Amino acid sequence: MPISYFQGALLGLLQGVSELFPVSSLGHSVILPRLVGWHIHQNDKFFITFLVATHLATAIVLLLFFRRDWWRILKGLGRSLRDRGIAPDDADARLGWLLVVGTIPAGILGLLLQDKLRAVFASALSAAIFLFLNGFLLYGAELLRRRAPQAEADDDVRIAQQVSWRAAFLVGAAQALALIPGFSRSGATMGGGLLVGLSHKDAARFAFLMATPIIGAAAVLKLPELAGPTGNGVRGPAAVGALCAAVTAYLAVRFLMRFFETNTLTPFAIYCAGAGAACALYFALA
Amino acid sequence: MDRRRLLVLAAIVAGIVLIAIAAVYWAEPAKSLPSFFPGHQAGSGHHHVKHGIASFLVGLACLVFAWFNTGQKKTPSAPA
Repeated sequence: MPISYFQGALLGLLQGVSELFPVSSLGHSVILPRLVGWHIHQNDKFFITFLVATHLATAIVLLLFFRRDWWRILKGLGRSLRDRGIAPDDADARLGWLLVVGTIPAGILGLLLQDKLRAVFASALSAAIFLFLNGFLLYGAELLRRRAPQAEADDDVRIAQQVSWRAAFLVGAAQALALIPGFSRSGATMGGGLLVGLSHKDAARFAFLMATPIIGAAAVLKLPELAGPTGNGVRGPAAVGALCAAVTAYLAVRFLMRFFETNTLTPFAIYCAGAGAACALYFALA
Repeated sequence: MDRRRLLVLAAIVAGIVLIAIAAVYWAEPAKSLPSFFPGHQAGSGHHHVKHGIASFLVGLACLVFAWFNTGQKKTPSAPA
């Protein structure tokens, strides 16, 4: 068996947390096996198949957590298509299209660049260096963030009013950074949200809503690999890993939505810079 | 023809062409793709499914853009 149940559980727990915390799940899933001496590499077919299951679990948790929001957003999208335009007071429709506009560049860049970038940046050392840089990216977003007045009481109305089409496109495109192990998808979207004037809580909400279709679609696209011959010997640990990822993803999203009501990205920036620097040094000297 | 109509026409044409290209990517292996297509590779039987999805998504976005921009003018804002 290329991956044990214990390894599957541990990697699943890590994946659920690190996918939603702005600390790079891919980076951690590259660094951890190297740190503990496991023979698991991010380009191993069985490992990619394993990640499909944990990503799918994370996407399902996000979808369920924000199910009421998604239902309102989908109804808003339907209304706007029917009316062939977005009514000025229809925040759900505008938010829905902002998510579409952000998802298109992220999806296309992901489809076209994922395999190439994974092949180039496969080593644990490069993941540690990029994790270090991710810390600076998060801290930079904090330093440069715009403090726009938050007049509206409703979260989605605030986001819909604050984010422009261009900003949604750029924030979505920034998610492509997460294709490089060490850079965080949620970090890029939260940082982008802060730069366009969202509060921390709204930036986190926008990031999680934007992450759901991307993580889910990426997992569904690779689902045949889990069902096919490359899934042999991995399905059991992958199921355990998915379950563990679902539990920690749920706890993570609950925690983060409360955390960002009063806190900033700075603790994550310090963690990424510190952990990235320590791991890079260790890998370089080992 | 004003600028808006021209843009809508271009979006419709681009949308249809891109969705047709997506169908070609899904139906034909890399060796049978036209040589100017990204992903063409002589002798390869690989299907570029992801290229097809990317092309389809952009095509769909073009058609949605055209759909919004051909609606009645009572709706003041539209995506993109």
